[in-house]
Amino acid sequence: MSTARRRMTAVAAAALSGALLLTSCGGSDGGGGGDGRTLRLWHYEGPDSAMGVAWNAAIEEFERTHPGVEVEFEEKGFEQIRKTAPMVLNSSDAPDLMEYNKGNATAGLLSKQGLLTDLTPEVTARGWDKKIGAGVRTTSQYDTDGVMGSGKWYGVPNYAEYTMVFYNKDLFAEHGIAEPTTLAELTAAMDEFVEADITPLANAGAEYMAQQYLYQLALSKADRAWVNAYELYQGETDFHDAAWTYGARTFADWVEKGYISEKSTGTKSEDAGVSFIQGKAPMLFSGSWWYGRFQAENQFDWGTFPWPGTDLTLGSGGNLWVVPEGAKNKELAYDFIDITMSEKIQNLLGEKGGVPVAADPTAITDPRAKELIADFNTLSEKDGLAFYPDWPVPGFYDVLVSETQKLITGGSDPDAYLDAIGEAYEKDAPKR
Amino acid sequence: MTVTVERGSAAGGKRHSGGAAHRPRRPGDSYALFLLPGALAFLAVVVVPFLMNTGVSFTDWQGVGGPEWSGLANYRELAGDEDFWASFRHSLFMVVAMAAVPTALGLVLAAALFDFVGKHFGGRVTAVLRACFYLPQVLPIAVAGIVWSWILAPENGSLNESLKAVGLGGWQQDWLGDPDLALYTVMAVMVWVQLGFPLVVFMAGLQRVDPALYEAAELDGAGWWRRFRHITLPQIRPEIHVVLLWCTIAALKVFGAVYVLTKGGPGGATDVPSYFSFTTFFEKTQVGYGAAISTVLTVLVLALALVGLKLQERTDA
Repeated sequence: MSTARRRMTAVAAAALSGALLLTSCGGSDGGGGGDGRTLRLWHYEGPDSAMGVAWNAAIEEFERTHPGVEVEFEEKGFEQIRKTAPMVLNSSDAPDLMEYNKGNATAGLLSKQGLLTDLTPEVTARGWDKKIGAGVRTTSQYDTDGVMGSGKWYGVPNYAEYTMVFYNKDLFAEHGIAEPTTLAELTAAMDEFVEADITPLANAGAEYMAQQYLYQLALSKADRAWVNAYELYQGETDFHDAAWTYGARTFADWVEKGYISEKSTGTKSEDAGVSFIQGKAPMLFSGSWWYGRFQAENQFDWGTFPWPGTDLTLGSGGNLWVVPEGAKNKELAYDFIDITMSEKIQNLLGEKGGVPVAADPTAITDPRAKELIADFNTLSEKDGLAFYPDWPVPGFYDVLVSETQKLITGGSDPDAYLDAIGEAYEKDAPKR
Repeated sequence: MTVTVERGSAAGGKRHSGGAAHRPRRPGDSYALFLLPGALAFLAVVVVPFLMNTGVSFTDWQGVGGPEWSGLANYRELAGDEDFWASFRHSLFMVVAMAAVPTALGLVLAAALFDFVGKHFGGRVTAVLRACFYLPQVLPIAVAGIVWSWILAPENGSLNESLKAVGLGGWQQDWLGDPDLALYTVMAVMVWVQLGFPLVVFMAGLQRVDPALYEAAELDGAGWWRRFRHITLPQIRPEIHVVLLWCTIAALKVFGAVYVLTKGGPGGATDVPSYFSFTTFFEKTQVGYGAAISTVLTVLVLALALVGLKLQERTDA
């Protein structure tokens, strides 16, 4: 064989082998096949969480009502789905139904790219829109730019979430402090704890918790138009207005006063939660996602109260059920969503410490769960869900973590903080 | 009598007469086939993805939908991105922590274990100590990182608690949360992680040094330090080159430790290029820009590797 031919043969062999190698790395059919016999389902709720328990019950119910149909459930991690969803949905491996994060940078982005199915016809035909309140549905609908709040339905949330102050009743009683109902009473209580050499608020500067304290402080001086301007771009956002300035300055002041530890910059939310569970921190301001954990692990009497002196707090509909555009068994996916919206599953979700969107309040028996749901209903009725501070632009979460850390350490002052987050926001927010 | 066996013939190669195809087979020919699977795998998992990544770096893309050609825009933005350059400055600190310090410490420790511990306490004690130093290399960085984050926690962390217990409460620090301290803390952890690798390589290198050299030097009255300088160092120079090159590349690519310990914080104080690229890709969904960062990083690592290999060849020649 001549050298040239040998080279040609070698190149052809290499190309063929490469193609075979790449093919072997490629995706398979995925098992659904569009035969109506299999529902491929992905979600990332822990099996012991309220949602995990409810979805498992929904799978049983689905298999009972769909004889001969198999549910292929794959448990995924939150980060796993968050980081790989666009690639998966772009491939032939997309499941029929999956849980996905809500917000402009996630579900909004995928809907804009045509990777999610428009659920509007099903939502109206099956009456899901009647069950989901206005505040909760904001994260379900996205316009053609992928901005939440209006447009077609691309996801259905079965639960909601909101923030509150979790407090250790035993520790309060030990120091003779009553449950605060106003901001003045809250700061007086924190002064008492600082006096007793106890840091009153658990915090995690390395993750979401610190930025949520600051945003809540800003919300206490804000209104719905302010939130809509910031989150939905329905107006100008001035990062040096009264609300943002109050939030940043008060937060820095609270670190200075010792309400929030200046050593919490590197702390993760798990550490903060554990310090509350261990009875070291008397208060923790965070979301209803902690509720089931505290119910299971707290060894002391505890309770919750809404952040005092505000109509707005962080919260929204929960994560969404979305149906990928490439799903093979969409009808089965709609049937499954319908089951999760049923009163039976919704009541179970509420009983286990979740915040259902369509439960029968009288069917919930656990007193703390009743209180949780009642507080949410009050908040929802007064249109008090103000979403989360990191939602408006992609990557804003990291900016907020980083800048809030600097605020805690004194590496930047409130004005510099507001300049920095304002600059990051303006850089990536859609121009309208 | 000398018998020469032609490799091609021994392998059963056909002989033809005349033309370029009939040149005698070179010894390497029969091995080329064995390199093919590796070459194909390298092509599939390194070359092709790298070329694709480079292509993406010339686009404005969010990871889904169609990428838009943007030419050199990402590279122009990169040139003026202060966060990117800060992350590279941190990389230089990582080179100190993961290459310079472990190599220097590893040399001294290897020589001490070989010369002193080996002679006075025996091979078994030396092997145990060597294994102890090497243990962090075996531990997954995710596990080691979580354990270190417990040790270094500002409140209830075992380091701060230990300092308090021995009356050094004033030395307690927010090791990973203080922006002035966090990078040095991560560096210290990386020294711990990295130290075992040079130590083991150097100890293996010391095994092949002729003991007669040391004996002669001892007879001439050379002390430990002189023997270390004039025998140990020159004799294991190839190992030092390999370790330095390997560890420098590892330092430039470091990701896991930063991800687990600090996530680049506080306030970007420990950000490194690979983590910066990761957050740009997945958090900001600026895939084109993230690809530009990783392309620059890859080119830099390749250039460094080539320069290192060239230098090594020149020194060894």
